[in-house]
Amino acid sequence: MDKKEMTREQLDSLAAEFRYVVTDAICRSGVGHIGGVMSLVEIVITLYYRIMKVKPDEPNWPERDRLVLSKGHAGPVVYTTLAYKGFFPKEWLTTINKNGTRLPSHMDQILTPGVDITAGSLGQGLSCACGLALAAKHDGKTHRVFCIIGDGESDEGQIWEAALFAAHNRLDNLIVICDYNKMQIDGRTDEIIDLEPLADKWRAFGWETFEMNGHDWDGIYDTIQKAGAVTGRPAMIIAHTVKGKGNRETEGLVDCHNVKIPDETTYQRLMCGLECKFDLPY
Amino acid sequence: MSNYHEMEMRVVYAQTLSELIERNADVFCLEADLGKADASIPVVSKSHPRNFINCGVQEANMIGVGAGLAREGKIPFCATFTAFATRRCYDQITISVAYANNNVKIVGTSPGITQGPNGGTHMCFQDLAIMRAMPNMHVYSPADANELRAVMFYMAESKQPTYMQLVRLKMPKLFEDGCLFDPNQAIRLHDGRDVTLVATGFMTSFALDVARRLEKEKITVDLLHYPSVKPFDVKTLVDSAQKTGAVVVVENQNIVGGVGSAVCEVLGEHHPVRVKRLGIPDRFGEVADQDYLFNKHGFGPEHIAQACRALSRSKSK
Repeated sequence: MDKKEMTREQLDSLAAEFRYVVTDAICRSGVGHIGGVMSLVEIVITLYYRIMKVKPDEPNWPERDRLVLSKGHAGPVVYTTLAYKGFFPKEWLTTINKNGTRLPSHMDQILTPGVDITAGSLGQGLSCACGLALAAKHDGKTHRVFCIIGDGESDEGQIWEAALFAAHNRLDNLIVICDYNKMQIDGRTDEIIDLEPLADKWRAFGWETFEMNGHDWDGIYDTIQKAGAVTGRPAMIIAHTVKGKGNRETEGLVDCHNVKIPDETTYQRLMCGLECKFDLPY
Repeated sequence: MSNYHEMEMRVVYAQTLSELIERNADVFCLEADLGKADASIPVVSKSHPRNFINCGVQEANMIGVGAGLAREGKIPFCATFTAFATRRCYDQITISVAYANNNVKIVGTSPGITQGPNGGTHMCFQDLAIMRAMPNMHVYSPADANELRAVMFYMAESKQPTYMQLVRLKMPKLFEDGCLFDPNQAIRLHDGRDVTLVATGFMTSFALDVARRLEKEKITVDLLHYPSVKPFDVKTLVDSAQKTGAVVVVENQNIVGGVGSAVCEVLGEHHPVRVKRLGIPDRFGEVADQDYLFNKHGFGPEHIAQACRALSRSKSK
């Protein structure tokens, strides 16, 4: 199936399946960053199924588009996507966060085929993405560098260092998406450290700035395409998302950042909170 | 052939970096607004503007940008003062460079007391300690201009995340132009049987003067220069300690965690002998000149000589 031509129903079904599988996979290790994983499902599917040039059988294909998940704790949503795309067997998903895994909680460029940059210590991935984009410019390559940052992560000073750097160096091959679910570990972003006016900040830093509903298929696709057409400056897409999206037990709850699943009852409650049931692919 | 030892080390650094870029267009020069201080402005910026990136006062971002470049096969040399090159962005180096095994070369300029007039805020006495405590990181400290060049040529060829100290001043000539660098090999600069003296980087030329001076007192010093603090050549030290029975270490660093500690770790496990560590005795820096700080902290040539005398005598008691 050419996923570029996927219908809304097919995309909805894929997103629901990913949420089901990734929740099960995270639960198997007993703890995981469910909230920030669920908020990114539609965005990551759109990138890998409709936008990015990648070759699953050649993860380091030089002409591929790059993705840096700077909010590295959302690794499992990318792992699920990479597994479904064929970068590695879906059975690997059952090893997330387990001893000896190649799918650690935070992104690891050495362990996982298809992961471009190690990230997890917040704020660092965007700088690395700038380096990837700079290298592509230097070499006259046409691939693009996508980077997903968190809203909590945007508290880090290094994000704003990179913001200055990318604009100064006119990195128009860099497209950054901020997962603005408006929650961080200790509470709502406007209570902990307010980011607003967030879009104005990025504009002031010299970025072509867009906003979108991070769960609306057409909006995501169209916005990323528009961002990709920007020339002379980097593009920032502020994605308004819902933390824990798609699960009644987590959606919109501040305490869904890192969820503990200590027993079967908790597991069943979480799985029952999802919209649909699917056969697990492993 | 240039007389590199007649030049400031920073100029040698910049010229060598230009040379490396000419040989390999994947080599990059990254700065954090101290390009003029280490001479890459104008040396590299003029000759290779496409491979010269000034990040501004953004050390953390510079390390990340370097990591991204390295992921794409580039070989970035990221330079700034030692304090900012290491302790300011220690987590960035740990995760984006060492843990991810991205081939970034970090250059810490004006190590230890050579920071002089910038004083305590800029004097970094712990960079060797914290960088050698990082897995997957090599740590080098060349002692003269020719060795600096050898180390840089090696760095540009290797795929190893590396930290190098760069003294910006002119340094006395110790090695010939064209000398080679092997990170697994310490260099015996003076042969002796009475006491082992270990030094690296800025302190090695002082240590050699002391070794020569003590000959007149019939004290023979086995002087080992360690251009690589990590990896650390265990065998040469152990062999020397077996021969002499006592070791003095001198470094332009805090005695906690640096080369002195490395020596104690090795000897403690392989061949325990008396050790005297000379350097900064767990203090911060201050605005002061070299002689003042040597005397205040007790690690100048006279203190090295005294420690060698004391340890060589103590063996016979």
